[in-house]
Amino acid sequence: MDKLGFHWPSLVVYLVNFSILLGVLYAVGYKPILRMLDQRSQRIRESLEQAERIQKESAERQAAMQIQLQEARREGQALIEQARQAAEQYREDEREKARAQASAFVERARADIQRERDNAIEEVRSQFADLAITAAERVIRRSLDRDAHKELIDQVLEESSQFRRES
Amino acid sequence: MSASGKKMVKVLAAGVVALFVYGFVVGAIGSAIFGGGEKGGFLPKPEVHLPPQPVLAQDAEEAEHGGLPAKFVLTNTILSSWITTLVLITVFFFATRNKDASKAPRGLQNLVEAVIVIIYDFIESVAGKDLTRRLFPLIATIFLFVVSNAWMGLLPIYPSLGFKNEHGEIVRHLLRPAGTDLNMPMALALVSFVFVEYWGLRTLGWSYFGKFFRFGALLRARGPGGLFQGFIDIFVGLLELLSEFVRIVSFTFRLFGNMTAGEILLLVTAFLIPFVFSLPFYGLELLVGFIQALIFAGLTLVFVTIAVMPHEGHEAEEHG
Repeated sequence: MDKLGFHWPSLVVYLVNFSILLGVLYAVGYKPILRMLDQRSQRIRESLEQAERIQKESAERQAAMQIQLQEARREGQALIEQARQAAEQYREDEREKARAQASAFVERARADIQRERDNAIEEVRSQFADLAITAAERVIRRSLDRDAHKELIDQVLEESSQFRRES
Repeated sequence: MSASGKKMVKVLAAGVVALFVYGFVVGAIGSAIFGGGEKGGFLPKPEVHLPPQPVLAQDAEEAEHGGLPAKFVLTNTILSSWITTLVLITVFFFATRNKDASKAPRGLQNLVEAVIVIIYDFIESVAGKDLTRRLFPLIATIFLFVVSNAWMGLLPIYPSLGFKNEHGEIVRHLLRPAGTDLNMPMALALVSFVFVEYWGLRTLGWSYFGKFFRFGALLRARGPGGLFQGFIDIFVGLLELLSEFVRIVSFTFRLFGNMTAGEILLLVTAFLIPFVFSLPFYGLELLVGFIQALIFAGLTLVFVTIAVMPHEGHEAEEHG
């Protein structure tokens, strides 16, 4: 072994040397480097997840917006429909009201006419009575003349029918 | 490629060829053919020392008679292992200056992190997710230490710095790759051994030893066939135990042998034909250094992974 160079103090020196190297490399090299690699892979994983999350969120948001848009459109449509219906209703109402007014007006006019006529008839009737009375007076005053009576009555009747035709 | 670029390549190629021819003439082979130099060659004969040489003069004098004294001696391999250690620590120190995880790594940090990730993934592929964090520091350190020792040993200052004798020849090198010192692979092998046994014990408790002392089959034996099976089982267990210790030796000599062979190979090729000829062998040694580091770290990893796995004997005792 000596010929090959075995020398136990050297062996010990190498052992110590290697231990020191191992310790120092662990503290100075491996630990920080592995930690950094871990951190980096962590970061990459996180940012990937984040990107995925954002993508998903934006898709969701877009979908929600789409829904909202549709809803708004539907609402607008409904509103327009409602307005149109209201307008229709209003027009209908107005027309109805106008018709009612017109008919009421006509009714009143008719009533007025009726009343006027009634009045007129009443008046005629009363005048007719007066006429009859006058005729009777005259008959009584002339008296006793059959022909005169007849003439008188005819005259009154003539007058009254004339009156009636006038009215 | 532009015309001047082509010309440049031609000039370079001519230079390389010229250097190769010059190296061939000056080197040992050329000297033998053409009979150059009064000493039988222009180059000093390479001397191979298996044991490392002391750096300090007084230690060297002591070592002249009967090897290294039984105390701490600063050898050239120890010195270069210290340099490797310092270089590694410095690299890691500067690679971790930027503590901000949100910034993309650049330059040295990027390189070191890439290496760390490669080693980490390698360990994870063998040992699984749970163990990786705790096995990582030792496996990575073994790999980095072995590979940096091997690769830094290829730097030109390693063979060229040294103490000369009165003839101007280098007799003691200042630096020598630590892998060529038997003690360095042995230290790593011991660390690896202790690490493996520690993890086996820690994970499986005392039943870890059930792998080595298999009396279960013998105790349950029925008839002569069962008895035979029992003895076989005990024998296999003892073989396992032996192989556990043989690993120290195989670890040690695999790395030591490869590193030393590489060193000698480079020495010899540079002696036979200096300059260009040894370049491919440097490439080879880069590969060998990497592979040996991978093997040392990888085998340790595999042994740990095997050690923490519940073995059949253990399971049989539990279920049977």
